[in-house]
Amino acid sequence: MITLGNYLALSGVIFSIGLIGVMTSRNVLKVLLSLELLLAASNLSFVAFSKFNGDYAGQLIVFFVILVAAAEVAIGLAIVVLMYRRLSTIQADELKELKW
Amino acid sequence: MSPYFFYLFAAILILASLAVVLARNPLYNVLSLVVAIFSLSCLFVLLEAFFVGMILLLVYAGAVLVFFLFVVMCLNLNALKLSSVQQSRFKWLGISVGLLFFASFGLAAKSFIKAQTMDASSIRGTIENIGRILFTDYLLPFELTSLLLLIAIFGIVSLAQGALSTGKDNENL
Repeated sequence: MITLGNYLALSGVIFSIGLIGVMTSRNVLKVLLSLELLLAASNLSFVAFSKFNGDYAGQLIVFFVILVAAAEVAIGLAIVVLMYRRLSTIQADELKELKW
Repeated sequence: MSPYFFYLFAAILILASLAVVLARNPLYNVLSLVVAIFSLSCLFVLLEAFFVGMILLLVYAGAVLVFFLFVVMCLNLNALKLSSVQQSRFKWLGISVGLLFFASFGLAAKSFIKAQTMDASSIRGTIENIGRILFTDYLLPFELTSLLLLIAIFGIVSLAQGALSTGKDNENL
């Protein structure tokens, strides 16, 4: 039988993998992808709580998270493209100046 | 039946998210995130959250990750090089996954005929239930989301305009 604990453990594993990705990768694109993993892990725990408590608000919050993540990705990728145009690289270490 | 599916999709999700973090090629990072999102939406369906699962597939796998792929292709960080051996292996993998998908499509068509006689109100997590609380209790957050998307559009347009104008300045200098 699959309980709430199984889903929360899976969500924790995915969150840890995403956190490792955010903290260790220097590629800005990879950081954004790992952020998506963090959001996916929290979405999974929201839906699991929604199912096991019989409350639809959890699913609704996932809906909002998806909307906000879409906006975040659009802005983030625009910044990545700008960064590539100016610096010809997307390594986060190259962002050393406060003002161009 | 359900526990096996949970472990199957959980294993795929963990492997794909490891590939997102560990793979060297940015194209593989993005594509393995597509696999991770797909198995996540399968888990949502197991949790009877059908609407959110479909939205996740449409918005994430359909729009956001294609956007990621588009940017990766535009930046052209490193060209994708595969040997012919790998390509033929991937071909057989692709053919077998395609056949599996076709078989599951047949199963879905069979269950669709059965589902037409079912009582629709007994299914939990449908659009009706979500929509009812979305437009009553959570109406204000829903309206504010449109404002957020508008601000995102303004942000992107101003970023793009700034890039164009500074590009002209550099040319003048």
